[in-house]
Amino acid sequence: MTVLAATGDTWGISSPAFLGLYLLAALVTVAGTLVHRSRILAGQRGLAADQLGPQQVAYLNGGDQVAVLTALGGLRGSGAVGVRPDRLLTVGGQLPSGVTPLDQAVYHAARRNLRSRDLGRDEWVGRALTELREGLQRQGLALSPDQRRSARRGSRVLFGLLALGMFRTIAGLSNGRPVGFLVIALVAVAGAALLLGRVPWRTRAADAALRDLRRRNAHLAPASAPAYATYGPAGAAMGVALFGAASLWALDPGFAEQAEIQRQATASSGGASCGGGSSCGGGSSDGGGGGGGCGGGGCGG
Amino acid sequence: MTPPHGVGIGWRTEIAGFVAGLPGLRFVEVVAESVPADGPLPDGLVALRERDVAVVPHGVRLSLGGAEPVEPARVAHLASVARRLDAPLVSEHIAFVRAGGREAGHLLPLPRSRGAVDATCANVARAQAELPVPIALEPIAALFDWPDDELDEAEFLTEILDRTGALLLLDVANVYANARNRGTDPLALLDRLPLDRIAYLHVAGGAEHGGFYHDTHTHPVPSPVLDLLGELCARHRPPALLLERDGHYPPAPELRAELDALAGVSGYPVVT
Repeated sequence: MTVLAATGDTWGISSPAFLGLYLLAALVTVAGTLVHRSRILAGQRGLAADQLGPQQVAYLNGGDQVAVLTALGGLRGSGAVGVRPDRLLTVGGQLPSGVTPLDQAVYHAARRNLRSRDLGRDEWVGRALTELREGLQRQGLALSPDQRRSARRGSRVLFGLLALGMFRTIAGLSNGRPVGFLVIALVAVAGAALLLGRVPWRTRAADAALRDLRRRNAHLAPASAPAYATYGPAGAAMGVALFGAASLWALDPGFAEQAEIQRQATASSGGASCGGGSSCGGGSSDGGGGGGGCGGGGCGG
Repeated sequence: MTPPHGVGIGWRTEIAGFVAGLPGLRFVEVVAESVPADGPLPDGLVALRERDVAVVPHGVRLSLGGAEPVEPARVAHLASVARRLDAPLVSEHIAFVRAGGREAGHLLPLPRSRGAVDATCANVARAQAELPVPIALEPIAALFDWPDDELDEAEFLTEILDRTGALLLLDVANVYANARNRGTDPLALLDRLPLDRIAYLHVAGGAEHGGFYHDTHTHPVPSPVLDLLGELCARHRPPALLLERDGHYPPAPELRAELDALAGVSGYPVVT
């Protein structure tokens, strides 16, 4: 008894027909989104990790905070920046040549005697971080706001479908029609919408570059008690970039303590990452109803 | 498991990245007690083994010169580390680090008596019975001599090496330090040692302090030690020599310069 429209059907569509169409729309959206995300999140392959400077690595690894720490550690190592007994930063020498814009910004913030924890809120530092971030976006390592919006588009469509399904449920209930399968479908759509709404801020190319750098610089991990004097300023900077505040504490405990560097501000894994693969898919659903199809154990997703 | 050859350096986690970047390196030494008998080996050592760099476990806690028998568990650990690293040989000190259940925490010199020779030879034999590879024995630096010495340094070492068949690990800086602090001639000692039994040399830095020369391993190798190395190589060049550095690691260019100096004096290829 496949009846598409009968008197009494909500909105003139029978429950099984609506459920079928609804699930089809959801599945197409999820599948399309996964393909679209995967393409955006891939980033630019074949980029050699050793072309990245320590502050770029730091930004990819732990965002603004680790990038600022890396600049601060480098400036401290060259004696350009120090800290006063009242825990305010200060300058101890000339700004070395060949520094990055972020180094310059942190140096000038130290000249204005900011606290280390306030560096991230400094306007000049903020501009340098934006510049750093945009450079990484151009290199296909970080996602631009446009790319992130685009990757989230599928999630918006799913939220739209969710709203539609909720209206239908309310209408169905007031119409005295069964809505059990539809509610199950709504839960699945809501889950998929939430999962696909989470977009990482770095690409898979950046993940691969970081993995490669961590492997090749394992000797700079604080657990190895690295001899920073031997590895030089570049090694010290890469250590802070890859292993965060713990490296700065190992490098210069007196400075780290005086400047109130947070010990736990180590390499965060950087944003929720569900990289376009099957693990993030949602929408496995059961199209029961009257229309045949998948019984019980979940079909497609 | 090629035997040590040319110029090497003591592998320490602190400078593992520096050691990994030495293109011509053929051998390193690692403190045996720092390598686990099971569980994963340090990545840096694994990478060196993959490059076919020989890794020599260097024990510091066996207490071969102790009056009591060497502890079987310590020998077993050294043997297992040698197997895991596919080492060509192991090395230990002619010294004691514990007595009567007390740990000295240092390598202490033995009185050069017949009794000490007997005790040391017995312990070396116990170790050799369990070790899969030959052992090289290293005499230590000491600021003093025991009053009841029956043998001089050369007699003492030669006797132990002859009776055990062990190889010699000679520390040039120790030879210099001992002679310098006692006012004796280091060349006279070299002339009486079995130089053909040397498996490899240790070369380390030190510093004058309070009228004595201290074998610190945390200072640059001073030129008198390099001169002594030259004299030794002129008499009988050993197959390998190793830079020992245990702290106050200098910038990489300085460490490379020290390795190059060892290569220059010994005539072995530069490894940097």
